[in-house]
Amino acid sequence: MPRWGMVVDLTKCTACQACVVACQTENNVPCVEPEQAALGRIISWLKVLPEIKGAYPRISMQLMPLPCLHCDSPPCIRVCPVGATGITPEGVVRQIFARCIGCRYCTNACPYTRRMFNWYKPNFPGELQQALNPDVTVRPKGVVEKCTLCHHRLMQAKERARAEGRALAEGDYVPACVEICPANAMYFGDLDDPDSKVAGLARSPRAFRYLEDLGTEPKVIYLTEGEWAGGKEKPRQP
Amino acid sequence: MDLVAELKSKPWLLGFGLFFGLGFLLIGGVLPGRNPTQPLRYNHAVHISNGMTCEDCHAGARGNEKATLPGIDICLGCHREPLTKSPEEEKIRAFARSGQEIPWVQVTRVPRHVYFSHRRHVTLGGLKCAECHGPMETRTEPVRRPFRPMTMNGCMECHEHRKVSYDCNDCHR
Repeated sequence: MPRWGMVVDLTKCTACQACVVACQTENNVPCVEPEQAALGRIISWLKVLPEIKGAYPRISMQLMPLPCLHCDSPPCIRVCPVGATGITPEGVVRQIFARCIGCRYCTNACPYTRRMFNWYKPNFPGELQQALNPDVTVRPKGVVEKCTLCHHRLMQAKERARAEGRALAEGDYVPACVEICPANAMYFGDLDDPDSKVAGLARSPRAFRYLEDLGTEPKVIYLTEGEWAGGKEKPRQP
Repeated sequence: MDLVAELKSKPWLLGFGLFFGLGFLLIGGVLPGRNPTQPLRYNHAVHISNGMTCEDCHAGARGNEKATLPGIDICLGCHREPLTKSPEEEKIRAFARSGQEIPWVQVTRVPRHVYFSHRRHVTLGGLKCAECHGPMETRTEPVRRPFRPMTMNGCMECHEHRKVSYDCNDCHR
């Protein structure tokens, strides 16, 4: 059984936000008005997180794409009172939208704030209505949503592979953000397969996990850029 | 006259009658929408007895995620010239003359939050069409309601019985 994970190389990432747009389009993420966004009610399954380092004149900004990190030990699923969220045998932290009651315990439990609540009726103005992805449901008002690692793509890839009578190969299933990345800064695959590209990169001395002290064991692994992750301190082994 | 007098003395009778009357209509599925009328009286039994298979009209039922309802071109493939004297057959050509598709009503459908693939069930799972859609070779009237109610319990029962995956995300999307 694979354990799906992602590696983001921060040296290669140009913070172009193509992954953000691809994610919004692929997963029918609703548009939010500017006033509502100012209230912190914007929905973005994947955002580019800016981190300002140092002080003027020696100032720099680090930008890191931050999807749901699909933790192996996710704090969000422990607080769900209705079992609407869980972890699949393949390690994807799932959200069953139809079962969610919108209590928002999970949005508070997630240390990475990667869970968003639908405060409003889904809004797809004009032509966007025609551009909805039929493979992904449009979430109603009042439920929590999050990155599913494009789980519909996994289901389709598995089905295609089975119809062709072969096993799922590397590259059959990639989420929209990884597929779009013009700088090839994102890698996706099976972390448990020692020969896979992601497993190799995850073992690199540059690899680190975001806020790994929390013990959430994320499956999205970053590769450091320059002095990121603690200056001269040697980056920790995963 | 007696009835009016009776109703005046016992107004609750009217409410009683309305309640049960409407309830009967709703449960009986007589109200429109619950029990849609198809645009023409298509006879499955005749077509199947003439050697047609499901996929001749419902393309994609085997090899695709979604099965389809036949477009007018498929019907006209045989019925461009009259084959029978049936007035229903004439309706096809009337739709064609007005440049319209036949407005079939889809009756068997799963909710939007469910991912259902025909290929997964028919080709990979080896299910017969009749398991969900019933014995169409005996149906002489158009389909107005699903053979099985499409409920999660129904899906789960079969998935458990056949020992196939019932992980939430395999169906929910």
